[in-house]
Amino acid sequence: MDSLRTLRTLGEELVICRRIAALRLRGQMEYRTSFLMQIGGTLLGQSTELAALVILFHRFGSLGGWNVGEVIFLHAVSQIIFSLADTISNGVQTIPVTIREGEFDRLMIRPVSTWLQAMVNDVSLRHLGMLIQGSILMGWALWAVPIDWTAGKVALLLVSIVSGVALFTVIFTIEAIVAFWTVNSIEAVNAFTYGGSDLAQYPFHIFGRGIRFIFLWIVPIGFVVYYPSLTILDKPDPLGLPGIAPLMAPLMAALFCAAVGLLWTIGVRHYRSTGS
Amino acid sequence: MRIYRELALRSFRQVLTYRGATLAGLFTNAIFGVIIASVFIGYYGAVDGAAVRGWSEQQTITLMWISQSILMVMYLWGWWEIARTIQTGAVAMDMLKPVNFVGYWLSRDLGRAAAQMIVRFVPTFIIGNLLYSLLAPASIANAVAFFASIALGVVVSFGWRFLLNISGFWLVDHRGINYVAMAAINILSGLLIPLAFLPDPILAVVNLLPFRAIVMIPGEIYLGQIPIAEGLAIQVFWSVALLLLGGWVFSLGEKKVVVQGG
Repeated sequence: MDSLRTLRTLGEELVICRRIAALRLRGQMEYRTSFLMQIGGTLLGQSTELAALVILFHRFGSLGGWNVGEVIFLHAVSQIIFSLADTISNGVQTIPVTIREGEFDRLMIRPVSTWLQAMVNDVSLRHLGMLIQGSILMGWALWAVPIDWTAGKVALLLVSIVSGVALFTVIFTIEAIVAFWTVNSIEAVNAFTYGGSDLAQYPFHIFGRGIRFIFLWIVPIGFVVYYPSLTILDKPDPLGLPGIAPLMAPLMAALFCAAVGLLWTIGVRHYRSTGS
Repeated sequence: MRIYRELALRSFRQVLTYRGATLAGLFTNAIFGVIIASVFIGYYGAVDGAAVRGWSEQQTITLMWISQSILMVMYLWGWWEIARTIQTGAVAMDMLKPVNFVGYWLSRDLGRAAAQMIVRFVPTFIIGNLLYSLLAPASIANAVAFFASIALGVVVSFGWRFLLNISGFWLVDHRGINYVAMAAINILSGLLIPLAFLPDPILAVVNLLPFRAIVMIPGEIYLGQIPIAEGLAIQVFWSVALLLLGGWVFSLGEKKVVVQGG
């Protein structure tokens, strides 16, 4: 009975949240030039990194035994995941400011989950420039690398992308959780968000033991991009993990989400308003 | 002169007060430094560690750690303090002050950069040295010139950012310019790859632009990849050119500015 009620409340919350999100989006569309400029800008910024990649492959030929098409496949998967997560969690990323200005109280007195509210409070499509670039890169990779597609591989790719989006959304949430205690050190989380998505664009085995440990077993980014890609590209695992590793993305992401969810609850409980 | 020194000292102290932010920033710099170095080690593995376009593996990795270390000193992205004063109208108060407008912001920026040298450059460069065997400066003269080159790099960087900021006299929204500026800095300053890796025709053009004076030349002077006098001369040229240009463009904007009272 209780769980039924929880489920119904969750459904109602989602309806409310969808309405808030729609309002925010409609508001942004009023400023179309600004919106298009931001999309174009992200594309331009990303294209410089792509130019660097092409130049480096021109000079060096390969990276960790991978050719340019295979590395571009990693870039594509990583950017698609990151841009979707960045778009979804834009509101969560504004929580530190909300807390500093004492506005977080407002979220707490409403009968909807604070996290969901924060999330839809500032929905923004401006990060989608990266999704466009990710999709173009995916097209390029598919053209450059012959992949034996099977239904299993397609499913693996989709599941990994969904797991990756969940994982990165939750990493962005850590920034907000840190802000419940201090707003001074949140920049450190950038090492895992931007750093993590940057690292995921390269064959994981070129990194040293320390970095590999952090990004596999603490923040499991390696499991959502690199391992599924190994299977899709039919490459052997130079790191010698058990054969199940490419299928671990959903489990690792779920475990990580659960851990961060717990931290969020503790954080909200710890929250003391700035009272201004 | 005293007032400029005082302004510099103020912003120097201001940077030092944000200890938590500094630690967090160092951590992020270090992780990015390791990621970038790992990727280059991977690339050099493909050519068995041979030098590419005159750049050995150790030189490239040292250059990348130098860039990570001077990143915040140069303040390459997201500095829009003057543009914000133009938006809010506060710029009028700064224009009333009995100091040269360019000098006012330049001294503040130099104070900020000096503090960032202590809290960001030194620790990041030490971390790089602990994790990778970075190369020592090519000679004692190169080491001394390296610091002079960083100082000049800050002036060039400031000159560039000043111009971007005062575009606010004409443009309402600086976001579009921000993206173009970021893209330019990324690829043209040597931040992502040593400029020597660029194809020759592109390199010839890039060498005529001011961006390499911000990141690449300090690194080249440290490693002895460019004659000291040549490197510093290019930086002095761009420092003077950009500051003069900034002063001139500002005088145009000054005539145009309309501030709402109240």
